[in-house]
Amino acid sequence: MLTLIKREIRDHVIYFAGAVIFAGIIIGIAITPIFESRRHYRVLSGLGVALTITAIVIFSFFAMGVGQMYTDKNRKISAFLSTLPVSRSRILIARILTGTLAILTLIVPQVIVTIILLRLYAPPFPEYSGFIAEVFAGIFLAAFACYCIGLQAGWSSSSILSAMGGLGLACIIVSLILIKGFGLHIIVILLLFIIASLIRIRHLFTSTSL
Amino acid sequence: MCLPGKGKRMDENVIKVENLVKYFDGRCVLDDISFNVPQGCIYGLLGRNGAGKTTIIRILLGLEPATRGETSLLGRNSTKLPAKIRGKIGCVAEGHNLIQNYKVSRLIKLCKDLSLNWNDASFDHLMETFRLPRDRRIRDLSMGMRAQLNLALAMAIDPELLILDDPTLGLDTVARRQFLELAIDIIQQQGRTILFCSHILSDVERIAERIGILTAGKLVVDCSLEELKTRVKKLRIIFPESPPADLYMTDIINRQIQGREMAITVANWNRQKQAILETFKPSSCTEVPMSLEDIFIECTRPNPELIEAV
Repeated sequence: MLTLIKREIRDHVIYFAGAVIFAGIIIGIAITPIFESRRHYRVLSGLGVALTITAIVIFSFFAMGVGQMYTDKNRKISAFLSTLPVSRSRILIARILTGTLAILTLIVPQVIVTIILLRLYAPPFPEYSGFIAEVFAGIFLAAFACYCIGLQAGWSSSSILSAMGGLGLACIIVSLILIKGFGLHIIVILLLFIIASLIRIRHLFTSTSL
Repeated sequence: MCLPGKGKRMDENVIKVENLVKYFDGRCVLDDISFNVPQGCIYGLLGRNGAGKTTIIRILLGLEPATRGETSLLGRNSTKLPAKIRGKIGCVAEGHNLIQNYKVSRLIKLCKDLSLNWNDASFDHLMETFRLPRDRRIRDLSMGMRAQLNLALAMAIDPELLILDDPTLGLDTVARRQFLELAIDIIQQQGRTILFCSHILSDVERIAERIGILTAGKLVVDCSLEELKTRVKKLRIIFPESPPADLYMTDIINRQIQGREMAITVANWNRQKQAILETFKPSSCTEVPMSLEDIFIECTRPNPELIEAV
């Protein structure tokens, strides 16, 4: 499994590089107010902007899903790997774990920075910890949902035009967060969507010809 | 003659195909195919381009779902081949679909890391024999080099079963000869079960012990090479007057009439058929020698219902 994950990371290293760069930019936006004339009270608004940008950036994980599957189909990677002692399910699991790692590369540094900033500059309200958990769980699940849509679109679409349908769905997921905000209800909706998507991807990937 | 492997019984079938049917977009490409390949046998699957050879192999490897029927490799259903069984199967695919953007060294490492059994000595020996560069990308290799790399990768796992799907496709005559010489060398050393698909008859004739001929999705021949040559006969018969309209004989693959002369190709030739022919009192009857290529051409004529009985 590790070999398969390593192969996926190496083949799609650009998405990891992108995740690191965006994490850096977003963290930069969040901490800039601290250095602006020591206006510490603006830290919360900086964090708000950063989170909004993150919610939009997660949209790019759709591209990662499409990229992984489209490259596979185009270069017949799974067809080759399937002639080795590797099952299709393992190829898919390795792929999904790689996607999850890329999402975490974007989100984990932000979680750490947000916790530190809130500890240092925000009033000590106990509600903050629950709020942070809900926000980042929502962002993670939305990114993962976009990624799952990308996987499906990349595998079942034969042209860019047909992948646009998936793009529309990813837009709806991101707008759901931007409009409705974060909370338990969003987490439940996204979880249900992800489970359904994973079942569909597994069926598509394991039953079609390679 | 099919040779049994070490400690294995002759009747142990490594490849089993039972009533295999495959439709593509409503078009039947494999029509009720059944055949078995016993342990240690080199089976040559012949057929014209698009006859369904690659589809059978893809179904056997679990890359393509069958519409109906069952296939198994090394005693396990093709659709549920566990990693342990896959690790015993070496495969050289048509067109050598290796990962094109990888460097040779990277692809070797990937295959080595994923394999359950890797013979470094054997692999390095083949790489040296083929003189394959490890620092070039797969897409930059010639077709011949790709075929050689594919064979080296397939052989490195010491496979119990080797599946070669048109391995010489796209190679020039020299590269093809070189590839086959080495392949034969390797095959003879090991005594393993091999399924060899090709439309190049001379290739198959050199290494196969048993032959299957696919025509329009049907397996019209499935027997040993020697048996095939004795069972299919081409006769040139001259009659005293014009030839009869019907010889009342089954399994006539092809019949051509020119004046008093009739040329027929018959499958399952036996004494009974000879006796039937003699009742027409021909002036002369001579057997025309047939090569595998001649038999193949006769068998792949668009008249499959006549030769189904072969």
